[in-house]
Amino acid sequence: MSQNDTNPFSTIAHLESINQCIQCGTCSGSCPLADLMDHAPRELFALIREGAYEEVLHSNTPWFCVSCYACMVRCPREIPVTDLMYALKEVITKQGTAPQNLKMPDMYQAFSRNIKDTGKVTESLVMARYGMKHPMDALKNIPLAIKMQMRGRLELKAPKVADPKSIARLFELTETSKDKP
Amino acid sequence: MKICFYPGCSFATSAGYKESTEAVCRKLNIELNEIPDWNCCGATVMFGENKLRATALAARHFALVQTMGFEDLVTGCNACYATLRKAARLLTEDQELFQKTQEVLQNLGLKLDRIPKIRHLLEVLMEAMPDSTSDRYKTLSVGAYYGCQLTRPDQDLDKGDYPEILEHFLDRIGFSVKEHSARTQCCGASHAVIYKNECQGLSQRIIREIANKGAEVIATICPLCQFNLDQAQIQDNGPRLPVTYFTQLAGLALGLAPAELGLNKLLVSADKVLTRP
Repeated sequence: MSQNDTNPFSTIAHLESINQCIQCGTCSGSCPLADLMDHAPRELFALIREGAYEEVLHSNTPWFCVSCYACMVRCPREIPVTDLMYALKEVITKQGTAPQNLKMPDMYQAFSRNIKDTGKVTESLVMARYGMKHPMDALKNIPLAIKMQMRGRLELKAPKVADPKSIARLFELTETSKDKP
Repeated sequence: MKICFYPGCSFATSAGYKESTEAVCRKLNIELNEIPDWNCCGATVMFGENKLRATALAARHFALVQTMGFEDLVTGCNACYATLRKAARLLTEDQELFQKTQEVLQNLGLKLDRIPKIRHLLEVLMEAMPDSTSDRYKTLSVGAYYGCQLTRPDQDLDKGDYPEILEHFLDRIGFSVKEHSARTQCCGASHAVIYKNECQGLSQRIIREIANKGAEVIATICPLCQFNLDQAQIQDNGPRLPVTYFTQLAGLALGLAPAELGLNKLLVSADKVLTRP
């Protein structure tokens, strides 16, 4: 484990709240996808406190946070766990250190790109873009897509906002943001 | 009653959420005013990419709601609900973020002065639906499924882990309600789409728990919850429970026909339980 002197997460709002963590593990025990994480939330907070920033920058944990907020409402120290996971993702995305073999960042990218282009999200378009990087995943969804189509639930024409350029502009205006995560 | 409605991206292609919401609102004289030119709220993706961008995407609607002259914004999707609420909370707490968001919106020709109250469609129908006067559905047992993001993280509408408002609603409009412990257990949300095998167990646990407690139908309040619980049953040999929207059950209670409520769009058919004498 390599150590980095400067804390890349220092600008995150309420990061100091993890100093209140008593390592009880209620968050990890409440997490529906903890099994898929390399460090469940309790452990991840311990790593940040230890200064093991490189380990955290390359952790898959924030990418498996499903935003169920179960940890957040149960934390006895009122640490905003889910909000911190979002902020960690933002720092990791900006630093470009997300694990290479991880599917979720590609999914998020496809999702975000769809919004940037049309202002809205069309599931079939997100899957198509994501499928360029993960063809097997996309193919596996075809039988389900057919069932959806049969029930008139597959959108083949992408809805758009009236002026998609205005959404692209919103993306540009927030692109170089130095704002705190 | 007039409400300002934010449908969100999944509403139109969901299994009859749109049809049933529109039919029920027509019947109850609720005027649904869709936010013109709404965009994606950013869902669970955008706050992990860029906080200002996520806030601005959500707040674009707050400016549009203001133009429409409404105080409240109503949505039927838990992810939209939680995302818009998160943006609203941040804008209220963080003056600097509020100003920056204002600047971004100003650049798009929009004006943001106030934050609307974000409400779920369930709250609206809880107020508007009349008590049941019929025994027609008294033998139809329903398990309420809330998903994660209605009562969490805010817990202002009801308890975070063990809410009861949907049970009370279903009971009041004439269904037999079965208590169970999976009401806010996570279905895997968007992760279930690409981590199918890993998330399959999450939906199965919910469906089995609801079936074991004697329910024949599940009532949901969110398009992604509905989709996950519905599609998980196709690849499973477990119990088969139609996964409906609470608006479809409300429509039945109001005497509307299943076809008007988009009930033919479910993957696991509800025909059998609904045509039962």
